[in-house]
Amino acid sequence: MHILLQILLLLLLAKAFGEFFERMGFPSVLGEISAGLLLVSVFLLTPEDEILKFLAGLGAIFFLFTAGYKETNLHELRATFKQSLLPATFGVTVPFIFGFLLGKMFNFPFLECLFIGVVFTPTSIGMTVRTLIDLDYLSTRVGSIRLNASILDDILCLFLLAVVIQISLYHKVLAGQLLTMGGKLAAFIIIMVILGLHILPKLFEYIQKMHVEEAIFTGVIVVALFSAFLAEKFGLHAVIGAFIGGIILSTIPIAKIQDVQDKVSGFSYGIFVPIFFAFIGLSVDLSALSTAGLFAALLIILALAGKVIGGFIGSKLVGLDSYDSLIYGVGGMPRVGVELVVIAVARSMGIIGPEVFSAVVLMVAVSVIVTPLFLKYTIELKERSKRIAS
Amino acid sequence: MLNISSSVAEAKIDINVNDIMTKDVVTVKGDATILDLLKLFKKYHYHNYPVVTPGGDLAGVVCEDVVLRCLLIGSVPSAMFGRSITKFLGEDAKGIMDHHPITISPNASLEEAANLMIKHSANHICVVENKKLVGILSKRDIINEIYKRRRME
Repeated sequence: MHILLQILLLLLLAKAFGEFFERMGFPSVLGEISAGLLLVSVFLLTPEDEILKFLAGLGAIFFLFTAGYKETNLHELRATFKQSLLPATFGVTVPFIFGFLLGKMFNFPFLECLFIGVVFTPTSIGMTVRTLIDLDYLSTRVGSIRLNASILDDILCLFLLAVVIQISLYHKVLAGQLLTMGGKLAAFIIIMVILGLHILPKLFEYIQKMHVEEAIFTGVIVVALFSAFLAEKFGLHAVIGAFIGGIILSTIPIAKIQDVQDKVSGFSYGIFVPIFFAFIGLSVDLSALSTAGLFAALLIILALAGKVIGGFIGSKLVGLDSYDSLIYGVGGMPRVGVELVVIAVARSMGIIGPEVFSAVVLMVAVSVIVTPLFLKYTIELKERSKRIAS
Repeated sequence: MLNISSSVAEAKIDINVNDIMTKDVVTVKGDATILDLLKLFKKYHYHNYPVVTPGGDLAGVVCEDVVLRCLLIGSVPSAMFGRSITKFLGEDAKGIMDHHPITISPNASLEEAANLMIKHSANHICVVENKKLVGILSKRDIINEIYKRRRME
């Protein structure tokens, strides 16, 4: 099939299916993944196509770049860091251990176990926020901690991803190599911070005065590509560079003008990100899933349980009561974002096989479907206990 | 017939932002509640309100779009429920404002201000000197000024 027709079909179906899922009350990402599943089985598109692979790679880069640039507010993060740190740390560590142990249980290689661990760590807050708003529970203390900690969850997940990618490059974990890894990550962040504090603000002041069309927008995209490229040069992955680049850029007022944000959002969510999610659907191997029944079932259970248990412990430690801690944990169950980038990266590096990839995609779908139900039930439990107490 | 191009050329020479900006700006404090903002929208006809710190520094801008989103939070599509949703969940001006409004110096030329507004599809820009809000300039201010000058000729 002509590549233009392939891209056209990917975009058209991704948006059409996304709209359908949105109307059903689920995240549009599920629709975009379904579009990929349909395209591979009906239109015989293949994830081996080099152009589609490249566009999906750009999609992953711009997905994380936009998350850093548009959705991360460093001032807010700093203000809420103290109360969110413990819940986020436990909400990431416990699922990571669960994922790692699951891999070990099924005798996967060490690196694959690490990647499964990383896949378990992020949190997509969308479904939780929707449910908490519906139940008028978002403005509570637990609602606010949940919202803020989800940002830290994703940051910690990407940090773990950076470490695991480095380990995969060295194949072994030795003290000296760990130092080199840490040094590279630190050097990259220092360069980006210097750029963000001293060079980019002046550069964007100049760019704002340029006469050519869309100079600021292009400037933002150039920074995204530069940070992705630089991360690759430092042996980190482009997606991690893009995320850090996005956060750095989010502090520069000229680059954050609403009009520019809207254009970057259109560029990412209008073109590249749907292609990335549809490509995930294209890459799902349904036959691998049917043979990995028990593994897939355990992956789903442990991924969800890890978030609930880790979140429960962490939020208890910051003083939430048992019901609120459970609400916090259950609210962290949905995954529909960063973990898909993690499996795409692991797949492109040849570290995870089709059964892990497909099982994770299934876990994503299950997590967003069951979270509202569990969350409603947990909140009802709390309300019931309040009534009994009074 | 008004000759627009000659008006702008003339304006470029002798008008700067300080000459035509509105200096008496209606501002809000960071802790103004949504209800305070609604009262403000009812009382004045402005679309945006600069948020200032107690020291008079410009902290951000609250616009009608954001207030409307806050009011309709229960009915927005869940695609909106990313992290940026926090912007519409704030309970005061500080929580919902745009932290990065378009600004210009009072000494900038009229041409610079007009270009900036057109480039970013902005109807207003905040005029800032040493981080302090000193005025606000709208597209209408520029148009009215040019019209006034042409009529005086």
